[in-house]
Amino acid sequence: MIEIKDLTKKFQDFTAVDHLNLTVRTGEFFGLLGPNGAGKTTTISMMSTVLLPTSGQILIDGRPLTRSASEQKRKLSVITQEYSMRQDMTMDEVMEYQGRLYYMPRKLIRQKTEELLSFTGLLDFRKRTVRHLSGGMKRKLMICRALMIDPEILLLDEPTAGMDALSRRQMWNLLRKLNNHNMTIILTTHYMEEAQSLCERVALMEKGRLDKVDTPANLIRELGAYAVDETSSGQMLQSRYFQNRAEAIAWLSDRGEDASFRSTTLEDVFVERMGHHLEKK
Amino acid sequence: MGILTVLWEKWTEFKRDFYKITLAAMMAPLMYLVIFGLGIQTTSHGEPYLNYLIPGVVAMSTMTGSFSAVAQNMSVQRLYEKALDQVMVSPTPLWQFIVGQIIGGALRGMYSAGIILLLTLPIHTGLIYNGWSFLIMFLNGMVFATIALVLSFLAKSYTDAPRYQAYIIMPMSFLCNTFFSTDSMPEGFRQAVNALPLSQASSMIRGIATENGFSPWGIGILLIYLAVFSVISFLFIYRKKNL
Repeated sequence: MIEIKDLTKKFQDFTAVDHLNLTVRTGEFFGLLGPNGAGKTTTISMMSTVLLPTSGQILIDGRPLTRSASEQKRKLSVITQEYSMRQDMTMDEVMEYQGRLYYMPRKLIRQKTEELLSFTGLLDFRKRTVRHLSGGMKRKLMICRALMIDPEILLLDEPTAGMDALSRRQMWNLLRKLNNHNMTIILTTHYMEEAQSLCERVALMEKGRLDKVDTPANLIRELGAYAVDETSSGQMLQSRYFQNRAEAIAWLSDRGEDASFRSTTLEDVFVERMGHHLEKK
Repeated sequence: MGILTVLWEKWTEFKRDFYKITLAAMMAPLMYLVIFGLGIQTTSHGEPYLNYLIPGVVAMSTMTGSFSAVAQNMSVQRLYEKALDQVMVSPTPLWQFIVGQIIGGALRGMYSAGIILLLTLPIHTGLIYNGWSFLIMFLNGMVFATIALVLSFLAKSYTDAPRYQAYIIMPMSFLCNTFFSTDSMPEGFRQAVNALPLSQASSMIRGIATENGFSPWGIGILLIYLAVFSVISFLFIYRKKNL
């Protein structure tokens, strides 16, 4: 279990994460959502000890996570938003370095490297240096590197950013499979359909603060499970949400041809909750 | 174990860039030897100037070799490649990472010095190098690898590394007992320059090479530098909030 207690991160006068309190259960698929600058990446960076909190703490299975907490860190693996790898290393070397940093035996390193590079279709390029890989290949290599150590907790900071639709779906399937093996996954993403499809619970963050934590289904239900979109000529798209289907259809029948009926999505929840704040700005 | 991992990483880098590293280690010291030692042929205290110069250049090579092996590499890893994150997240104790960097850097310094010793081998200078000489070279390499680590943790951009080279390494190369004795320096300035690690390393290596002996205080001074900068680098890696 991961417990985040009163976690705060300040960069001089700017508060990136503000007294964040969260609990993520073992084996849970958890999403951190929020607009740009909400504090998601800062939170992930603190969970990987790359950044140290200004105050508050993170507990893994009841024990504090610090830079010297090797036992806690052994359970963790991170896929960062940026390609955090030595550019002059080959894929084989990147994997071996990771294995060595986690004290894996050489034989197991070779075996896992073979297995993971083959699974992601990178095996033929194993002698190529990171510098000479495409963006998609680098992303896949980062996934291989993170999975090399069979982590109990996987932190993913926008893992599918820049991926094509097919690769993204493959990634989703892989993450589901890993989660089914009781791996705790914490994901930040800007793709709401990704969070809706994968996450058991999501936390909505804004300006470093926690706005709401719940399941995607509950958040959608709270807003209204049915939506009617209406585009009046020359105006912006406006959506109206309804708790029951009959109500939504009745409303729809009163509108013109510019209105359409659909199910509410997590993106609607996001836009409604975060959009209001933006409008106020 | 973590120390060996860092040394393995340094070894892969060394193998990959072998020619570049070797050439870079040779270039500047070789120029100094050719220009000041062979081109401008002078004597110092009745001895050929080369006999004065070579031990200084050897000490200087351990400094530049170890400093550049750590400073540039770490700055790029931390600020540009973000590859240090991989180490920070891993269970490898960070003190082992630091020690690995220091030893790896010192070994690169030794390699640079070794090249100079090989290059000057055909010139029969009669200079002597023994176990103490190599210990001092290694210690000097460790000191400058540690200084490089601290500076790379302080760097705000990866272009800072060459600046440190210009502000710290270059002046030390010329002032610290390498090309001329500090004896002729003004009072006060001489003491300050003598307190610098390269002055001590040059003086000790030269003393051994010319069979004049060396002061053990020099080793003590190098150890003090090593201890101080090691503590600072440990504090940085464990306590610096935004690494």
